[in-house]
Amino acid sequence: MAAAAPPGPGPDMFEEIVMAEHRFHGEGYQEGYAEGRHAGAAEGRRHGARHGARVGAEIGSYLGFALTWQCLLRKCTDEKNSKKRKALDSLIGMIQKFPYEDATYEKLQEDLEKIRGKFKQVCSMLNIQSDFRVSTERSSLTF
Amino acid sequence: MKEALQPLCRVAAHPEARCWFLAWSPGGGLLASCGGDRTVRLWAREGPGWACRAVLGEGHQRTVRRVAWSPCGSYLASASFDATTCIWKKGDDGFECVTTLEGHENEVKSVAWAPSGNLLATCSRDKSVWVWEVDEEEEYECVSVLNSHTQDVKHVVWHPNQELLASASYDDTVKLYREEEDDWVCCATLEGHESTVWSLAFDRSGERLASCSDDKTVRIWQQYKPGNEEGVACSGTDPTWKCVCNLSGYHSRTIYDVAWCHLTGALATACGDDAIRVFEESASSTPQQPTFSLTAHVPRAHSQDVNCVAWNPKEPGLLASCSDDGEIAFWKYQRPEVC
Repeated sequence: MAAAAPPGPGPDMFEEIVMAEHRFHGEGYQEGYAEGRHAGAAEGRRHGARHGARVGAEIGSYLGFALTWQCLLRKCTDEKNSKKRKALDSLIGMIQKFPYEDATYEKLQEDLEKIRGKFKQVCSMLNIQSDFRVSTERSSLTF
Repeated sequence: MKEALQPLCRVAAHPEARCWFLAWSPGGGLLASCGGDRTVRLWAREGPGWACRAVLGEGHQRTVRRVAWSPCGSYLASASFDATTCIWKKGDDGFECVTTLEGHENEVKSVAWAPSGNLLATCSRDKSVWVWEVDEEEEYECVSVLNSHTQDVKHVVWHPNQELLASASYDDTVKLYREEEDDWVCCATLEGHESTVWSLAFDRSGERLASCSDDKTVRIWQQYKPGNEEGVACSGTDPTWKCVCNLSGYHSRTIYDVAWCHLTGALATACGDDAIRVFEESASSTPQQPTFSLTAHVPRAHSQDVNCVAWNPKEPGLLASCSDDGEIAFWKYQRPEVC
């Protein structure tokens, strides 16, 4: 077939009509795909933000809890309490070292589990129920 | 076929409930059992048979899944589906619950005392392993919460002479833990089983570990320390554990428990096909490639799944087993001539 010939009577005209549906399918698919990608990216960002916020809220609550107790136990220098303070210091240290900016940190889950484990240990040592939940439906944590 | 394992006695231990676990006291004179009826029972020899000496019924609100004796024999720990672990102290008029350890989010599956007597480990369906320290004033304190497993943790057991802890899980792995700078860390993960690992047992020396699984095999793992002669690579100062033997084709259902006798070296298994089997290391076995042969097989040891097998620590060949049928059976094992 010759290049860039204007459509006119002849075999090309029928080619266009016959292939029209196929072409429209293709174009429609491209449009839909682009739109879907865009919507998917937006949803992904929302999901990531929500999940990130949840992790942040969880760790933030552990940090607040630990700093408060560190303060409360500051005056207690006996042997018994020194173990508790050591565990609190350890928890605070782990939280402060946690890389918030890097969502691709390969040991993210592992470090998160270590923080959760340390928090449970601290609660056990302080005789506090560790089952509070941070959520939007209920008001804050109880001690 | 094999009559190396002879039945001695049978008791209906936990009425209308499963008998989940058995533990011999360190002296070998008492057997503790626990079950679905929420009790812990203590059994002692009476004439030719065994009789119930005590029933500890006030400790738990749900099934008691595991019991463990402290190395000194004065304490008994019971782990329950009610998410708590009770510590019972032996007194003049029986056992009294002195502490209840809380913290797990759901069913506690196992409890074990370290040989030093100062540490206790518990594990749960909440996927965590907790290490507790006990001081002279009988105060228990949690020293670590380990979240290494990704599923239900079924069993924990301590190494016989090192402060090393092993755990078995629904995630198909065995994990080992040790203390590092005041905290406990997971120092090894043993992969190989193709399904839930239900139980673990160290041999007397602690160089080998046996694991049993839902995949119907028993695997034997060997410890290789850094600088070992066989040239097995180790990372840092941690030993590597390698699977040196895989006993497959012997069991037709899930293997729920494995017990390694520290007196004779015999390995007993409790299986979901109601049978008890005993294996011994064969004459042709080499340290790096051990082989085990089946020396006893009792096909209908119980009328339902066998949940636990336990070798008496003082009397060679005395084995106790328990089942979903609520019974405890006592057996005498005699190593056959030809192995």
